[in-house]
Amino acid sequence: MATEDTKREIGHDEFDPVGTLVLIAVYFVILVVMWIVMWRIEFIGNGPTVIG
Amino acid sequence: MDIHRFEKGWLVASLVLIVFFIATVAYVSAVTGIDMVDDSGGDIDVDNVNQHDNFSDPGVEHVGENEYDAYVIAQQFIFRPGSEPFGAIRIPANSTVNFHVTSQDVVHGFQIVGTNVNTMVVPGQISEITVEFNEADEYGILCNEYCGSGHADMGGSIEVVPRNEWNGTDGGDA
Amino acid sequence: MAYVDRRPLEARVVRVAFGAAFLFLGLGGLGGLIQSLHRTGYFQFIGEITDGNYYTVLTSHGVFMVLFFTIFFLMGAFTWALTRSLDRDLNNPRMTKYWITSMCVGAFLTSLAIIGGFTNAIPIEANVLYTMYAPLQAHPLYYIGLTLFVTGTWVAGYDWISTYWGWRSDNPDERIPLMAFMVLTTMLMWYILTVGIAIEVLFFLIPWSLGLVNEINPTLTRTLFWYFGHAVVYFWLLPAYLLWYAVLPKLSGGRLFSDPLARVVFILFLILGTPVGIHHQYLDPGIPEGFKFVAMTNTMFLLLPSLLTAFTVVASIEHGGRQRGGKGYLGWLRTLPWKNPAFSGMALAGIMFAAGGFSGMINAGMNINYLVHNTIWVPGHFHLTVGTASALTFMAGAYWLVPQITGKNLAAKKLAAVQPFLWFVGMTFMSNAMHRAGLFGMPRRTSEPMYDAFSYDPAIGTVGEVNSQIALGGVILTVSLGIFLYVIVRTWFGGEKVESPVDAELPPAMSGPEHSPRVLDNLKLWVGVAVLLVILAYTVPIAYIATDGLWSGSETYPVVVDALDTLEVLL
Repeated sequence: MATEDTKREIGHDEFDPVGTLVLIAVYFVILVVMWIVMWRIEFIGNGPTVIG
Repeated sequence: MDIHRFEKGWLVASLVLIVFFIATVAYVSAVTGIDMVDDSGGDIDVDNVNQHDNFSDPGVEHVGENEYDAYVIAQQFIFRPGSEPFGAIRIPANSTVNFHVTSQDVVHGFQIVGTNVNTMVVPGQISEITVEFNEADEYGILCNEYCGSGHADMGGSIEVVPRNEWNGTDGGDA
Repeated sequence: MAYVDRRPLEARVVRVAFGAAFLFLGLGGLGGLIQSLHRTGYFQFIGEITDGNYYTVLTSHGVFMVLFFTIFFLMGAFTWALTRSLDRDLNNPRMTKYWITSMCVGAFLTSLAIIGGFTNAIPIEANVLYTMYAPLQAHPLYYIGLTLFVTGTWVAGYDWISTYWGWRSDNPDERIPLMAFMVLTTMLMWYILTVGIAIEVLFFLIPWSLGLVNEINPTLTRTLFWYFGHAVVYFWLLPAYLLWYAVLPKLSGGRLFSDPLARVVFILFLILGTPVGIHHQYLDPGIPEGFKFVAMTNTMFLLLPSLLTAFTVVASIEHGGRQRGGKGYLGWLRTLPWKNPAFSGMALAGIMFAAGGFSGMINAGMNINYLVHNTIWVPGHFHLTVGTASALTFMAGAYWLVPQITGKNLAAKKLAAVQPFLWFVGMTFMSNAMHRAGLFGMPRRTSEPMYDAFSYDPAIGTVGEVNSQIALGGVILTVSLGIFLYVIVRTWFGGEKVESPVDAELPPAMSGPEHSPRVLDNLKLWVGVAVLLVILAYTVPIAYIATDGLWSGSETYPVVVDALDTLEVLL
């Protein structure tokens, strides 16, 4: 399958996965934002809470 | 070891994220006073729950200025008090309530619906949790651990009533 | 030459394991459909609440899916992976025959005990759900079947390890090939993590269910269960990781980005996978807070191997997309072979795993767990992880492996191409709605989440809207599952045998084993570290819990109780 479709060869040394870097950075931002939203809005705003 | 520089960066970012998560848990607990359910409630003999000093007559007791103890028995498939026919757990407004919940049969859960009040109820243990209630309100309670064929019926309610409408015999005694 | 011709005996074992896996997948899926329609109120045909039939379905859905489907698939996939990567037959055909037989018999007996719950004609039932918390009790057959099943996996592990020893004596200086390395580390983790369930079942549940002892300590058996019950999720996940690292780069037209990091990831699971189980008991009384905090810290650090995997696997796919002509920052995403279900299934499973990772991070937060514990948020989470990251990857893997073990071309290719996308859409509806419902307090594990005493108060949307999405998702997932089974059956039993049904070549990693330190292959060292960490994390909690007694605490309580009788006594 894949071998017929191959259009160009990229070796190890010249390969910088910039697309992966972009995707993973976006994921990181989503995680941090969602984490803060969950804590501030869903959890802390959801009282009463167990305090002892 | 040969690691690409992007991946080294991601490794560091991942570790920062993990430390940040753990720090959030510790920080929020410190600031808001959220406390974990633990072994503070002590043990109880499952076969003699109904003879236990505090659980032989479960319900809400006035124990301090604004402080109340609520003793609740979870059993297949009701809360006593909390579920019909025992009536709601009645609590005065603006109070601090120490719930003591135990099971006289299998594992149950005790959750005040739509809040962060949530604990397992394991036979042989007393789950002790402290909760502050402000103005008068009504809450649902439910069992959130499968406890047998009638599990889906195991719900009830908590009524937080104005202080002058609550009296000592009104604790939802069963 | 196809795998079936090169190693006919092993191919046969893989076929038996896959056959069993897909049978249980189908049965478990049927249970899932019934649940999603029943608890949302759309279609309730299974009995009244009093006979507990919903929980018979729920037990079968859980056990069939997460024990039998996943583990049978793992057995097949690992047999293939080990023999292929060592280029060697299994060591001992008699041993192989023993473990596959033991697992099949065990799964059959346990299934029989569960299905017995549908009828009163035979006095056998096991409505205890997958977690089997005492003092709810199942028929002894249930526990005995599980014992045969798990001991079968132990023998399988030994079969593979002894095959590796044979290879090692012929190749004293070689690095362990990557797939064999993954199989070995996963099985070593499995030996460590099944200690908990073995002690629970052999020393407590079986004697108690046979009436040899009368009482049981519910906190102790819960803790032993979760010693196993969390770590087992990595046993479901690691075969998917194996496919993502070893096969997915090839399917995308590229090569694995880094062999050394793949090894590091599996070692991290081996050493950190087990000492985390107490995070399922954050809300247990009878367990001091300190033990819970230790479990949380270990759990959070277990995010590391998965976060690393995200990078390595996506980078390998990006390499494939660029080989196929993709340009720019994200242009390579468009050139990937999305029409190949083996590729699209694994890639979509990875995307869902990224979302499931987030809800898992919330579950892991010791105190924010109050918000979600035992709500339907939790099944929302694990239907993304085991229910998609593992299950959809396994289905995608089957599109590539079943042709190799049968020597047939994949049938109904156009239908197969749609199947992973349907799964993705169905799961998006169902899981998203489950997460949201959990946040307003709807519980999991119940036939009927509506109560007389109160109603829910969702901040966004309505209960009816959430339920409709769960039911719709369940139906779409069932259609997707039906298509999968149809394609597999058509492939397996139709068509002519061909010489080479798929391109089974696996290209070497861009950064190969020569770039990783040899210490990574020192399995004895890593097992030692893993055992040490388990001892550190569990000795004190178990000793503390056991002071309440080993065979004392709770008697047996039946699942089906006439609640009115109980009330009359009290009133």
